[in-house]
Amino acid sequence: MAEPMGFFTDTTVCIGCKACEVACKEWNQLPAANGGVRTLSGDSYDNTRQLDGIHWRHVKFIEQFSADRRQGRWLMMSDVCKHCVHAGCLEVCPTGAIVRTEFDTVDIQSDACNGCRDCIGACPFGVIDINPVSGTAQKCTLCYDRLKGGLEPACAKACPTQSINFGTIVDLKKLAQARLGTLQRAGETRASLYGADEHMLGGLNSFYLLVDRPEVYGLPTDPKIPSRNLKPSAIWSVFGSVALTLMAMVSFRNRGTRDV
Amino acid sequence: MYPRSMADSDCIVIQGSNMAECHPVAFRWPMQAKLKGAKLIHVDPRFTRTSAMADIHAPIRPGSDVAFLGGLIHYVLASERWNTDPFFKEFVVHYTNAATIVGQDFKGTEDLDGVFSGLMQYTPSIKEWPLDGFVGQYDVKSWQYATSPPARPSAPPPAGPPFDPLVRSLLTPPPRRDESLQDSHSVFQIVKRHFSRYTPEMVERVTGCPRETFIQVAETILANSGRERTTSFAYAVAWTQHTNGPQMIGCCALLQLLLGNIGRPGAGVMALRGHASIQGSTDVPTLYHSIHGYMNHPSALKGHESLRDWLHAETTARGYWANTPKFMVSYLKSMYGAAATKDNDFGYDWHPKIIGDHSHLPMFVAMNEGRVKGMLCVGQNPATSLNASVERKGLARLQWLVVKDNWLTETATFWKNSPEVTSGQLRREDIQTEVFFFPSAQVAEYEGSFTNTQRMLQWHYKAADPPGDCRTDLWLTHQLARRLQAMYADSTLSRDRGFKSLTWDFDADDPRERERGEPDALKILKEINGYATDAPGRHLAGFGDLKDDGSTTCASWIYCGVFPAPDRNLAARKQPDPPNTPGAQLDWGWAWPANRRILYNRASADVRGKPWSERKKWVWWDGARWTGYDVPDFAPTKAPSSKATPGAIGLDALSGSDPFIMKPDGVGWLYVPSGLADGPLPVHYEPAESPVVNPLYRQQSSPVLKHWTLAGNQLAPVGDARFPYIITTYRLTEHYLSGAMSRWNPWLTELQPEPFLEISPELAAEKGIANTGWATISTPRGRVRAKALVTRRLRPFTIDGRTVHQVGLPFHWGYQGLITGDAANELTALVADPNVSIHEGKAFVCNVEKA
Amino acid sequence: MSSTFFTASPHWRWLIVAYFFFGGLAAGSYFLATLLDLFGKDRRLVRLGYLVAFPVVCLCGLLLTADLGRPLRFWHMLVQSETFRPMLKTYSPMSSGAWALLGFGGCAFLSFVAVLVESGWFDWPALRRLSAPSPVGRVVTVIGTFLALYVAGYTGVLLAVSNRPIWADTTLLGVTFLISAVSTSAALLILLGGWGGVTGDSIHALERFDRAVLVLELLVIGALIVSLGRVAMVWLNGWGVLLVAMVLGGIAFPLVIGARPSVRGSLAPVLVLAGGLVLRAVIIFSSDGLR
Ligand SMILES: Nc1nc2c(c(=O)[nH]1)N[C@H]1C(S)=C(S)[C@@H](COP(=O)(O)OP(=O)(O)OC[C@H]3O[C@@H](n4cnc5c(=O)[nH]c(N)nc54)[C@H](O)[C@@H]3O)O[C@H]1N2
Ligand SMILES: Nc1nc2c(c(=O)[nH]1)N[C@H]1C(S)=C(S)[C@@H](COP(=O)(O)OP(=O)(O)OC[C@H]3O[C@@H](n4cnc5c(=O)[nH]c(N)nc54)[C@H](O)[C@@H]3O)O[C@H]1N2
Ligand code: SF4
Ligand code: SF4
Ligand code: SF4
Ligand code: SF4
Ligand code: SF4
Ligand SMILES: [Mo]
Repeated sequence: MAEPMGFFTDTTVCIGCKACEVACKEWNQLPAANGGVRTLSGDSYDNTRQLDGIHWRHVKFIEQFSADRRQGRWLMMSDVCKHCVHAGCLEVCPTGAIVRTEFDTVDIQSDACNGCRDCIGACPFGVIDINPVSGTAQKCTLCYDRLKGGLEPACAKACPTQSINFGTIVDLKKLAQARLGTLQRAGETRASLYGADEHMLGGLNSFYLLVDRPEVYGLPTDPKIPSRNLKPSAIWSVFGSVALTLMAMVSFRNRGTRDV
Repeated sequence: MYPRSMADSDCIVIQGSNMAECHPVAFRWPMQAKLKGAKLIHVDPRFTRTSAMADIHAPIRPGSDVAFLGGLIHYVLASERWNTDPFFKEFVVHYTNAATIVGQDFKGTEDLDGVFSGLMQYTPSIKEWPLDGFVGQYDVKSWQYATSPPARPSAPPPAGPPFDPLVRSLLTPPPRRDESLQDSHSVFQIVKRHFSRYTPEMVERVTGCPRETFIQVAETILANSGRERTTSFAYAVAWTQHTNGPQMIGCCALLQLLLGNIGRPGAGVMALRGHASIQGSTDVPTLYHSIHGYMNHPSALKGHESLRDWLHAETTARGYWANTPKFMVSYLKSMYGAAATKDNDFGYDWHPKIIGDHSHLPMFVAMNEGRVKGMLCVGQNPATSLNASVERKGLARLQWLVVKDNWLTETATFWKNSPEVTSGQLRREDIQTEVFFFPSAQVAEYEGSFTNTQRMLQWHYKAADPPGDCRTDLWLTHQLARRLQAMYADSTLSRDRGFKSLTWDFDADDPRERERGEPDALKILKEINGYATDAPGRHLAGFGDLKDDGSTTCASWIYCGVFPAPDRNLAARKQPDPPNTPGAQLDWGWAWPANRRILYNRASADVRGKPWSERKKWVWWDGARWTGYDVPDFAPTKAPSSKATPGAIGLDALSGSDPFIMKPDGVGWLYVPSGLADGPLPVHYEPAESPVVNPLYRQQSSPVLKHWTLAGNQLAPVGDARFPYIITTYRLTEHYLSGAMSRWNPWLTELQPEPFLEISPELAAEKGIANTGWATISTPRGRVRAKALVTRRLRPFTIDGRTVHQVGLPFHWGYQGLITGDAANELTALVADPNVSIHEGKAFVCNVEKA
Repeated sequence: MSSTFFTASPHWRWLIVAYFFFGGLAAGSYFLATLLDLFGKDRRLVRLGYLVAFPVVCLCGLLLTADLGRPLRFWHMLVQSETFRPMLKTYSPMSSGAWALLGFGGCAFLSFVAVLVESGWFDWPALRRLSAPSPVGRVVTVIGTFLALYVAGYTGVLLAVSNRPIWADTTLLGVTFLISAVSTSAALLILLGGWGGVTGDSIHALERFDRAVLVLELLVIGALIVSLGRVAMVWLNGWGVLLVAMVLGGIAFPLVIGARPSVRGSLAPVLVLAGGLVLRAVIIFSSDGLR
């Protein structure tokens, strides 16, 4: 395997230009929702609203202003698949369409996927959805095709402010630590890294620098792997089976003789 | 300055632009500066994506920029730091005209309550066409410098070429100076008095910006100016689109000169240009009032009767512009080739002359008056710009209209589905305009150069053939020229001599391009660069080679040197500097003039030629010549200690410590004695339409602004209760201008799908307007519908103790495209500043109602 | 806030609700048939159970396939499309469930055939060995019953092994669906048996059993709501009302009327069946709309 690659997204320098969103669509030839004719969402400058099968990058806008405007922030964040080291989507996929690549990224092979959609609810971040054109589940491939060709991902290339940093996870972590240090020294005590260590799903290969609680950015504080529920659910079900069997045995024991 | 230099700034003030949204790629440099610790300040009525990146967002009421900048000037001049750090004194005394004495006749706005001496009624001359739109006019005589002996009466211009004697005849005595800056008529004292009213309290009263925020901005700028640190400003059309727009820019330049922030790395005033090659289009101009290289267009109104008259009027004896005869003669040679000779004044008489303001707005006024027969509309979409309804009515009165575009724009279909037609105001059958649509090639489908905002030419290559009948814009010009030449070939009329003599040898050598009728872009670049008249294979290496005797041919002197040899197109260079080396990337493309990146960079060294500081070194004197990271903007071997030669012309008239070599006095102008129509110093005037009575002076708005009185172009009077709110119009990152280029692209339309009005929760509540609910916005000119985007990023202002609401409207919509909506320009007025006739799209008044 | 609120819905709608419902019926019927076969004496209900199971499981296959984004690739669940090697992930409920469904479908088919043979619809001596109490038949039904329990329960586990609100916030969905599968199946057999003229003791036994299961179901649903904790607030809407209606109308009411011989009839089993459908619809749809 090549060295693990990924993204470090520094949300503090994101200018919300959406160049990444468009670059992704252009490179991957993804359609616009409803042919591009939509209604105004009214949610700040976000009109695409979510990651899904045709939005593999999505820029979020969070307005935080006090009524007198003395405190005011407009947070922007370009969201994408986290390429989790322990990936829920990959775990549940029944067709094996979701694979871990040699770059330690998580990729959906569209030609293997049959559109069962199990992966959608399995992803703790709401990243995946069906692409109506292919009828299969799709999400960021971390530009697997470009990486293969030695190019950086289209979104990172388009980002004018280096909010999206692409590289080896080792380098990115160094960069992120340095930036975090700078910000904290500058008094931004709320700055923190999200998903940069193993505690979160074994590590997110696409991790973030945030300046507020993750929920504010629409990110779960404590994302979990779906299979956590497998064993307890199974045990309860076995108990249930045993109980039902016993009840049936008791109920049916030698019944029905009179009518035969 | 240029955008990359902003990465070297210690403080960046973005005012008059929403740089992050409108110049996102160039914005990488401020962001790099920020990552290195620079402070970012955004002065904008709204909290935008730029504000989001800034350390300080200073909200100001639209149109109050001069008050804010004037406040900064006042604050700086009164500050301890400015008065104690010797750097500022040295810079200001030697590199600006602070010490120059102004004539006794001059009266300022303090004396005349908001106007300068010399204000007159506007009196159009007989030769002038009647659509100039001025409401007043200044006689600039009283603004001039004081000179010791009275100016010599001008002798009749001597003959030429060479024209040196003519230039020498233009010499006037040098102005008087007082380097102690104490003379009450010195520029410095005038400036100080002029801005004495602009106190922090007044700034708050006029702009609505909280005093603490203003002081924080001022302190940050002060702390980041000086020997070791530099501050830069960036602006775009939120400074230009005002009836006193050039004054805002001038005010900023004044401040930057006072702070020593000109000609140095990370310093200066960054003019962010709009379109990809808008800089190029003003250099090689599509401007009506100038010919190539910012020379004034021959005019019927200015005593430009003959070449000598023109030179007499347009040449300054001192400074680099003393070379004007060389630029002009080489230009005429380029126009008329062999037919241009000494004896016929190089064909000067054949050159067209202007008779007034022929810019965009008056042209559409003229159309409305039926004075214009036809229009070639190439890469523009006037049907949704600037009082759109008036502009469309103008289009409807044309006999013919050519639209050359990539899309069927609103302009191309105005006769079919404009609001006037769909509402029944105009009937299709009554519109006689014959519309021709020429599909246009895209930039990647031909080769040529771009000139970007840093005056840098970059060559681009053809990547694909244009589809079908699409042709380049050069093709249109080329074919028109050739066909008109053929038409005029047999004319004996003297007025057609120019056309008959025109040189036009741009046919492509490539057989395929030739067959398509396309010209050769390199041949055009060569014509612009220039060559030896009798040896066209010998390209000129730079404008130093230009002659005024007809031996050189050069269309645009400022571009001379981009193509110094047939095999060396310097615009095509793509060699970056090695990483982490200080430098100006001189091998990447080619920037005019002479591949210089920072203009007036002599000012990056002190009087003795030493860098002001190690941190801020850029160009310096090494004992024998000027050297450094950039191409020095100075005579290469002229020592810092050299004195001006008395009685000399050109650069010899300047000393070794006069960095501003384009200026006749070699220094930066705090006070502008000539060249501006609206005053030698910036003044806060209210926009042409304002709900506020000017808190500073009795003069409400610019006494010399332009307003065209025609039906559909009424202005609301000051404080009109029917239109109580300020409205400003602007761009979104997601769309491009009239939307022609973005509203057909589903990837972009889904990002911003519908027209919207940004409105504060306070005003929305007052008006009962809900987020995403429809609102109607009206002005005396028109009304539009848009959805409300209720956001605290907009705020009400307290102006002069009263709450003034503002709303904001992006202007990208129209009736063509995948997504459609009302154009903001249904609301705007044809009013303009007196210098360059730019409309006031950034501050006017409106009413807002729930729809 | 539960981290499940940050996830996206897989848009599992009516086809999946129907599959969950019918899958439960097929599996429950098979389970009941086998237990009745092993411990009871009335072969009419046994035969009925097996007769129901197979067609319904076929319907399930169709529902599932129809729900796929790419129906023609249904086989990718079982076979790797590139290597043609078997595709099984034991830790993915959908993967193991697909195999379980296949296996169960096979058993249901064999048991179905056995019933046909037993009933004399056609006769092929070799097939007689499929019928209980022949050892082959027994093996088939016992394996089939294990698979049936798997099929009845895995759907709930499948939902739990996700990150969706409600689904992943409790580990009791598997057992809830399992119990509901059996309660609805019992109701189905009571209903069909009644129409088919089966009366008396065996039906009474089934009814008593069903009531016991309904009580268990009530308890489990109660436990489920408790286990959801704060997430249960999601049900403070129409779906919650429907859930209460389901509990009252599909469990409590049948329990009450079922306990009184005078009002016995089709009403109780119909309500139980409807309740089972509503339960699945509520569980699925109440999560679907959240993002
Ligand atoms: N994405 C995108 N980029 C573009 C363009 C585009 O259409 N789309 N257009 C290009 C062109 S042609 C141009 S000219 C440039 C223009 O670039 P900018 O001038 O940066 O753009 P605008 O959005 O017109 O205006 C900028 C800001 O001015 C503020 N403003 C309004 N009135 C005032 C005022 O009186 N004073 C101050 N200080 N600020 C005020 C507005 O709130 C707005 O945020 O952008 C270029 N870049
Ligand atoms: N209210 C308000 N109005 C404004 C402004 C504002 O801030 N507020 N801003 C003003 C400013 S700064 C500007 S620059 C103007 C812009 O106003 P316009 O120039 O009228 O608008 P654009 O949409 O840029 O029109 C350019 C046209 O050129 C076409 N085009 C693109 N490439 C080519 C090409 O290679 N060849 C040809 N032939 N056509 C091409 C495009 O499809 C488009 O139709 O708007 C002005 N109007
Ligand atoms: S973020 Fe979601 S889609 Fe991406 S790898 Fe992790 S679980 Fe899979
Ligand atoms: S939808 Fe496709 S990728 Fe997702 S789980 Fe199903 S088969 Fe795998
Ligand atoms: S890495 Fe590639 S696929 Fe992923 S968001 Fe970026 S451009 Fe899109
Ligand atoms: S391209 Fe970069 S700056 Fe622009 S929205 Fe995306 S991440 Fe943010
Ligand atoms: S559109 Fe072109 S000019 Fe504008 S920011 Fe992007 S790259 Fe620069
Ligand atoms: Mo512009």
